Amino acid sequence: MAISTEPWSRRRFLRTGTLLLGGLGLAPNLLAACGGDSGGGATGLNIDTWPIYIDDDPETGTIARFGKATGIEVAWNEVINDTNEYFAKIQPQLSRGKTVGADIMMPTFWLVPRLIELGWLQKVPSFANRANLVPWLETPSWDPTGEYSIPWQAGVTGIAYNRKAVGGEVTSMAQLLAPALKGRVGVLTEMRDTVGLFMLADGKDPAMATVASAQGAFAMLEKAKYDGQIRRFTGQDYLDDLVAGNFAACIAWSGDAAQLAREDPNIGFAIPTEGGMQWADCMVIPKGSTKLDNTATFMNFVYDPANAARISAAVQYVSPVRGVADELRKLGADEAALADSAVLFPDAATTARLHTFASLDEAQEAVFEETFSRIAGS
Amino acid sequence: MAERDGGHRRPNRGRLAPYGLLAPGIIWLTLFFLVPLASLARMSLSSKQSRFDFVPSFSWDWANYSDVFSLYGTQLARSFGFALAATVLCLLIGYPLAYWVAVHGGRWRNVLIGLVVVPFFTSFLLRTISWTVLLADNGTVVQAARWAGLLRVLRAAGLIDGDRLLDTPLAVIGGLTYNFLPFMILPIYVSLEKIDLRLLDAAADLYASGTSTLRRVVFPLSLPGVFAGSLLTFIPASGDFVNAAFLGGTRSRMIGNVVQDRFLVQLDYPGAAAISLLMMAIITSAVLLYAKLLGTAELA
Repeated sequence: MAISTEPWSRRRFLRTGTLLLGGLGLAPNLLAACGGDSGGGATGLNIDTWPIYIDDDPETGTIARFGKATGIEVAWNEVINDTNEYFAKIQPQLSRGKTVGADIMMPTFWLVPRLIELGWLQKVPSFANRANLVPWLETPSWDPTGEYSIPWQAGVTGIAYNRKAVGGEVTSMAQLLAPALKGRVGVLTEMRDTVGLFMLADGKDPAMATVASAQGAFAMLEKAKYDGQIRRFTGQDYLDDLVAGNFAACIAWSGDAAQLAREDPNIGFAIPTEGGMQWADCMVIPKGSTKLDNTATFMNFVYDPANAARISAAVQYVSPVRGVADELRKLGADEAALADSAVLFPDAATTARLHTFASLDEAQEAVFEETFSRIAGS
Repeated sequence: MAERDGGHRRPNRGRLAPYGLLAPGIIWLTLFFLVPLASLARMSLSSKQSRFDFVPSFSWDWANYSDVFSLYGTQLARSFGFALAATVLCLLIGYPLAYWVAVHGGRWRNVLIGLVVVPFFTSFLLRTISWTVLLADNGTVVQAARWAGLLRVLRAAGLIDGDRLLDTPLAVIGGLTYNFLPFMILPIYVSLEKIDLRLLDAAADLYASGTSTLRRVVFPLSLPGVFAGSLLTFIPASGDFVNAAFLGGTRSRMIGNVVQDRFLVQLDYPGAAAISLLMMAIITSAVLLYAKLLGTAELA
């Protein structure tokens, strides 16, 4: 096929080569998509956490004030989108006895016993303000001695909805699964949140969950997926879909919904009439972190009720720190109103409607995760 | 015999020289392709003793392979379907564009073909996520499509679910087409550019019409580009997970998403390895078949 009008000159070769190299620019981007590093080790304290989980004003936010007060620079890494995903990310290093770069991690409660059992955690150092920890979280079921974890925030899993998209409110799982919302519903990839709410919808108690008692919930979930009722399984990225109106309603975390509602009054949140799920995210210290002093200083700072109140006002979850309501009243204005919110400070009637997912042993968890993954992950 | 004097050694050394030159490539491929491939094959036949057994033990566990078909047959078929659709679309869009630039581009040819690559200077991930904004339910694209009655047609064709574009098979195929288009255009352009334009005059002199010139002269000569372009599009598209993750819904997930979930979320390394190896086997057979059909012997 010697029909080329001009032979491949050096210039032409270089030009084409440059174009091809431009195409190769794709490769690093693809790699970056799989990475997502947990920050560097140069800062005073590396914290791996979930998105929108603190008051983040660069001047007056908690991290900024902590830096000014103590001189410790904090790297606040919003790298957790889904607990399993995060576990898979830290697992290769921690299982080989290597450090992950984080000094504090904030996994959901059910991951804590697994991390303790695997021997990947250090004990939480003592700090003065620990005395402010609310009694019901002192020795929780996931950390019976309270030595390895200290709660960051607790919260409720329920239903968030976009009033404009729904044309009203969504207050029950039955409504979430009704044909009116077909194709506009999101559910979480967090197995315990989603399956917990489906079990409640099925009339079962998630606190007593067994493989047998969850079958009905899994069947409902699978049907909702195949009927096209469920549009997507998401991590915390459901926030984007809810705001964009792609989701009319979705399973969501209380504080997220409250934060969104502040910017968009159309967003609402409800604890389903069938019942809601309660959880806590905990601060834990991975093996390999050497900054225990800074960690203790940080924990002491955020367990000061005045500081905790600022965080609560921003994230609107259930604070594990005593005295936050009084501090919120002192702040006045909108913050004072939060002191009486049933979402931030659940009263007895609300607490009665909340359930915690059973702690599963390894064999049970394997079945639950596999069954859920077959539905959500494929 | 030849060892006796140095004069006879030279041809020997000459015969070894090509291997010396190949050595870096061979070492590279051995270290970073063959060794990992072997360990992948070993992993695909291993089984986990417990959920947190991070080093599965080798046990000739063929069930990992049969599971792929029984559990993920749908996603497997879907992946190849989506990738094929995207490849055909890329060809339909890319060929005329490459042809136009090669034949009518004149001195702007390099600038024009450069423009094809320009979007690549932005992150692949960002470009894909931007589509979620464009195709949002309340976005102008969906509203325009609804107004034009296009949504009804697409729904009847089974390409979308409900009254939306985002999180549907169509969005995933669109994303794949968009992201892999340059891989189709560049090789086709290169093979078209090599064609001596005087051949077109010759065809005209022999009373060939425009269509038959294209069909009997231009297209056969550009086949190497079409072949390379379709492979560069089809292979990565069938294993892609980014487009389905951001633009697809629960019923448009591809095998790449399954691998991602098995590997990175469920930590089921044997399962993920089995899927990956099966994908490799299927794609390799498909490519060999394709090469046979197109007759690659003449393509070099």
